[in-house]
Order: sequence, then structure tokens, then C-alpha cells
Amino acid sequence: MTKRSRRGGLASSDRLGGYGFVSPAVLLVAGLLYLPFLYTVYLGFTDYDGLYPASFVGLENFRRFLEDPALTTSVRNTLMWAVGATVIPVGLGLLIAVLSYGIRGGAIYRLPFMLPYALSGAGLAVIWGFILQSGGAANDVLGALGLPGATMRFLVEEPANTIAMIIALTWQQAGVNALLFLVGLQSIPKEPQEAARLDGATGWRLFRHVTWPLLAPLTTVVVGLSLVASLKTFDIVWVTTQGGPGRNSETLAVTMYRDAFVSAEYGYGAAVAFALSLVTGAVSFMYLRRQMSASKEGIV
Amino acid sequence: MRLLTAVVATAALALTACGGGDPAKSEGKTQIKLYNDKGAWSPYFKDIGALSKQQIGLEMEPVGYTDAPTYDAFIKASFRTSVKPDLFTWHTGGQLEEIVKAGQVADTSSLWNEAIGKGYLPESLKPYYTYDGKQYCVPLNIAYWVMFYNKKVFDDAGLQPPKTWADMMTAAAALKAKGVTPFYATSQLFNFVWFQQLLIGEDPQLYNDLATGKAKFTDPGVVKVMQQWKSLIDMGYMSDPGDKTDPQELLKSGKVAMAPFGTWFNTSMTQVGMKPGTDYGMFTIPNVNPANTKTTLLFESGPLCILDKAPDKAASMKFAQWWLEPAAQEKWATSRGDVSANPKVTIPDPSLNEINKAAGSSDVALSSRFFELVPAPILTAALDAFGAFSVKPGDYQKQLATLQKAADDYWAKAGK
Repeated sequence: MTKRSRRGGLASSDRLGGYGFVSPAVLLVAGLLYLPFLYTVYLGFTDYDGLYPASFVGLENFRRFLEDPALTTSVRNTLMWAVGATVIPVGLGLLIAVLSYGIRGGAIYRLPFMLPYALSGAGLAVIWGFILQSGGAANDVLGALGLPGATMRFLVEEPANTIAMIIALTWQQAGVNALLFLVGLQSIPKEPQEAARLDGATGWRLFRHVTWPLLAPLTTVVVGLSLVASLKTFDIVWVTTQGGPGRNSETLAVTMYRDAFVSAEYGYGAAVAFALSLVTGAVSFMYLRRQMSASKEGIV
Repeated sequence: MRLLTAVVATAALALTACGGGDPAKSEGKTQIKLYNDKGAWSPYFKDIGALSKQQIGLEMEPVGYTDAPTYDAFIKASFRTSVKPDLFTWHTGGQLEEIVKAGQVADTSSLWNEAIGKGYLPESLKPYYTYDGKQYCVPLNIAYWVMFYNKKVFDDAGLQPPKTWADMMTAAAALKAKGVTPFYATSQLFNFVWFQQLLIGEDPQLYNDLATGKAKFTDPGVVKVMQQWKSLIDMGYMSDPGDKTDPQELLKSGKVAMAPFGTWFNTSMTQVGMKPGTDYGMFTIPNVNPANTKTTLLFESGPLCILDKAPDKAASMKFAQWWLEPAAQEKWATSRGDVSANPKVTIPDPSLNEINKAAGSSDVALSSRFFELVPAPILTAALDAFGAFSVKPGDYQKQLATLQKAADDYWAKAGK
């Protein structure tokens, strides 16, 4: 039986035992998450190049980062990803879920949208790289259909290359978002919808004023996840264009990898990683805070 | 998740870097590992490994990487950990100088002296491996930068390998008229090739001065080269840089007629089933400026290095010594279909032998490839600039200005 002290807490021997039980998990989290993060922050203030011991350079890496001519392109592309890769896959996912919910054979209609999710990020990039390359499948199809874009160099021109990769990601992500919204649709209470139907609401009006507000808590989560994932976009860009040509499709995460690993400037790369973490953290915090306070105020 | 992975990878690397300590000594090894960034060459490395076991009782097992940044990061991390390669491939130029200065690489002067004495290595190769009068590493391979061409496409257009730049432009016009793209170009890693070829063929002194900071990328001579490069793109002579098809496939299909590459590209051509001498050939690229008396042949050499604190330095040195001998080099050159650093080795491919012969003749001057010529930070900026230029050739002045800014930063830091 657990012993309790006079103040209601655990007796010291039990407390010690408790620490024993939680310590493996705490050590694992500290060792694999907190320590690497703190070490990366520390490296961001040094000139570590992998060859010589790191020496402290103060804010030099951050100054250099802000003066880097490629920063503007990188930030612009990251913003395009943050907006495009959030709005389009989430919107499309919602549309698929709503249109296929409650109809006969809905699962069959949804299946083609779900399958691409089985692909890894790198696999997706390789496949779409072949489709989108100059003279590739996309150009061939557009040419055969007599549509504009048959000679478009999708992966070369900016910002077409970023837009093309956002479309590729949408192809993969829309299905899983649809799945999440479907779970939401199944879990929302039936009564308000039935009441609205009795009052004569159907179609768009029913969705806009009843279903959509009931889905809001789930939408907050789906949009939040997509937003954070898109701010960190790396794999699809690195595999498809390596951030090029001439750095024109680079995102902040690609800039970080490139500076740290390709140029072997680990200190500078760590500073970019730290800056990116701050941006991602701040955006996520602001978004969630706004959404949560909106929920508490009973807007939805 | 992606960021997290990257951060954890960075930190893991850093944490392993903290590990330090002396390497585990294991004297008298009978098996050594050769780490390399040439994963596609694994079968050829394995052939060599089997031969070394047979001849010197030392089996070599290759550990091949295909991603250059990952490989370079691993090698640099190994300097500070106990996981050290017995042998590893690296890069000449600034990158070799960097790790030599850091005291990581074993002195191989004795191997060089012996090999030059026996005629296994040419004296001319020595400067590329010399720092402060001592030699480091031995040549893994050498390659000359030549033009590969599809013989059938040339025959159909009634063309012969050109002897002058004007001939090459005439051939390009004829090919273009037949609907064939004359030259291969890319916006990625090898985007520097046309720059180096046009500049060295026009003004070798300016080319070499860029490497030492004596000349600027904004100098009129460099601007002229960019304008010439732009005109080749504008005339439709270059393949689309956004095409991800491998150059060997483009040459094989006949969509593209010529591709400038190092002689190591021979391996890629034979791997797609092209027969040397029948399906394709190669020629030395003529000078742009006919007034230049010698044809400049661009040249690269990849080093095979030994760490100063290698797990069993004696075994690694023994392998490197054997590596330079004709038996090893014959196997290496023949299986890959490339030239050898050992002048005593001849290879069956007549085109390659011709290039090898030309390289040694008095009509030809050798010059280092741009990739190894300029310091690493300038190279990185140059690859970015040329990549951007290949997409928007009209922006050449902006790209040259950005590149010069990176060069100025580097030289300012180096001069401190």
C-alpha cells in the first residue's frame, strides 16, 4: 500500500521509487529532445565547422542570416508553403469528406485520395520530380490536351516550382485531411443537424451554419498541424529541386540543411535552425491561442 | 517532424563529435574498410578488394555513400570519434588543404617518392597533393574533361569530331537544324562545366587568377564569357536544365548530341549499354580562342586518404602502396573503363588511350577543374550563381555581382 505523509504527499521512500519509475522516460526525453535542442541553440552562437572546436561568436550568425541575400526568397517560399500547403490540402480534404459522407459507396470515392498517403515524403518527391521535370509527364499531358503549359518549365521557374510542389503535396495530404474531417463528421451530435433540417436548412446553408461550426475544434487541430508541417517543409523540396536552381525554391528548412550540411557550417546552420524553431513556435502559439480563445468565448 | 529529424540529426552528429577519445587500436588488420562517396562504383571497389586479398593478404571492403553532404559530414565527424575509416575518398583543392591543415591526414610523401621513382605516378600530379612540401593521400582516380558525343547522331548529320571551336559551332548549328539539341547542360551540380570550358578556352590566365583572388568575377573577360554562354543558350544549343533525365540517357536516345564530362563518365555510358568507339566517342574540347597555342585540357584527381589516427595506419599505408602498382591500377582502370593515374597502365578503349596520349603531349596544357580550383565557399556561391543563370541567362550581371560579393567576403576573411 502507498504510504502518504501528513501533508498528503507521498512518503520519501515512495517518492524515491516514483522517481525510479519515471527516470527512464525522463532521461530518454531529456537525452533525445532537450539536450540536442539546447546543444543546437548553443552551436548557433559558435563558428563550429566540424573540424575545429567551436568558438563563441555571439550574434554573428544571426546577423549574417539576416543579411543573406537568399533570405528573402527563402522566407517568401516558406510563406507560400505555409499558406498554400495549409489552405489547399485542408480545404480539399474538407470538401472530399463532406461530399462523400453519408452517401452510398462513399468509401470507394474516398479511396483514391487516401492511397497517396501511403507514400513517404521522399517517394512523393521522386515521383513528382519525374512528372514535373521539363519535358516530363505534366508537359506531355498538357500538350496532348492542347492546354497551355506544355512548354512550361515547372521545376525551373520561380515561383512556379514552389506552386508545383505544393500541388504535389496536396495530392498526398488531401486524403488524410479528409479522413480526419470524416472522423469529425461522424462524431458531431446529430440533434442540431436534425433540428436545422426540420427548420428547412439544407445544402450549403446547413453546412455553413450548422456542420461547419460543429467541426471547428477539429479544423483548429487539422489547420494547426498543416501549418506547422508546412513551415518546416524540407523533404519534398530537397529531393525534387535541392532548393534550386540558384536557390530559387529554397525554404527556411532547406536553407538550414544546406548551410549546416552542404556548406559544413554547422554553427551557422544551427542558428538558422534556431530561428526557424522560433518562427514555427511563435506562429503555432499565436494560431492556437487565437483559436482556443475563440472557442472559449463560445463563438463556435 | 521534418525539422525535428534535422535537429536531432544535427545534435546527434554534434554529440558523437563530443565523444572524442583515442581510436581503438587493432594492429595487424587483415580487412580494411574504404569509405567513399562513389556508391555506384561499389562493384569495381569490390573487385579491387578481392585482388588485394589475393596479392597482399589485405581484404578491402568498400562502404559507399551516394549523398555527398552526408558523406562529408560523416568523415568530418569521424575525426572526433572512435569510428574512423581505414581509408577514405576525398576532394583535392581547398577541401583537402582544409583537412590537412587540421592535422587529420597522414603524410604519404614516402609513397609518392617511391611511386615516382618507379614510374607509377607522374611528377606532374604531385602539386595537387602537396601542402608545405609534403604529400598527402594518393590518387584514387584522374579524369580529363572531354566532350562525349553520340556517333550515330554525328554520322546521320555527316559530322566529324570538331578540331576547332568554329567547327564545333558549325556542327552545333547543323545538329540544331536536324532537331537535335547540340549540348548537354544542367542547373545542378555540374552547372559550372560550361563556365570553366568557355573561360579556360578563352583566357587561361584569367581562369587561374579567379582562384587566387587576383581577378574578379565582374572583370570584363568573365562578363564576356557569360555573354557567350548566354548566346549558346539563346540559340537553343543547350539542353533544358530542368530535364532530370540522366545525361547518359539523353546521349543514348540521341536527343542530345554532345555532353562535356570527365572521362569517368565513360563508366556511366557503358552502364547504359553504349559501346565505346561504336555508339559513342569523345574528343578534346577545342579552345574558344584560336590564338591560344596550347589546347587546355581540364583535369581532376580524386584522392584516397589515410587518417593520421587511422585504426591501423600501417595496414592502410600498405594498401595505398599496393594501390599505386600496375596490377591494382590495371584492374581499376579496365573494370571502370577510365584512365589510370599510373602512366604504365594502358586500357583497351582506344578513345580513352588517345585522350591519355593527348594529355601527355606538348600541344596540351593541363589545368585544374573549376570545382577544385576555387576555395569551397566561393565554389558554393558559384554553383548557386550558375544555377540561377541557367534559368535566367539575362541576369548574368546580377549573378556575377553576387558571386563576387561572396569572393570578396572570402578573401577578406582569408587575408586576416
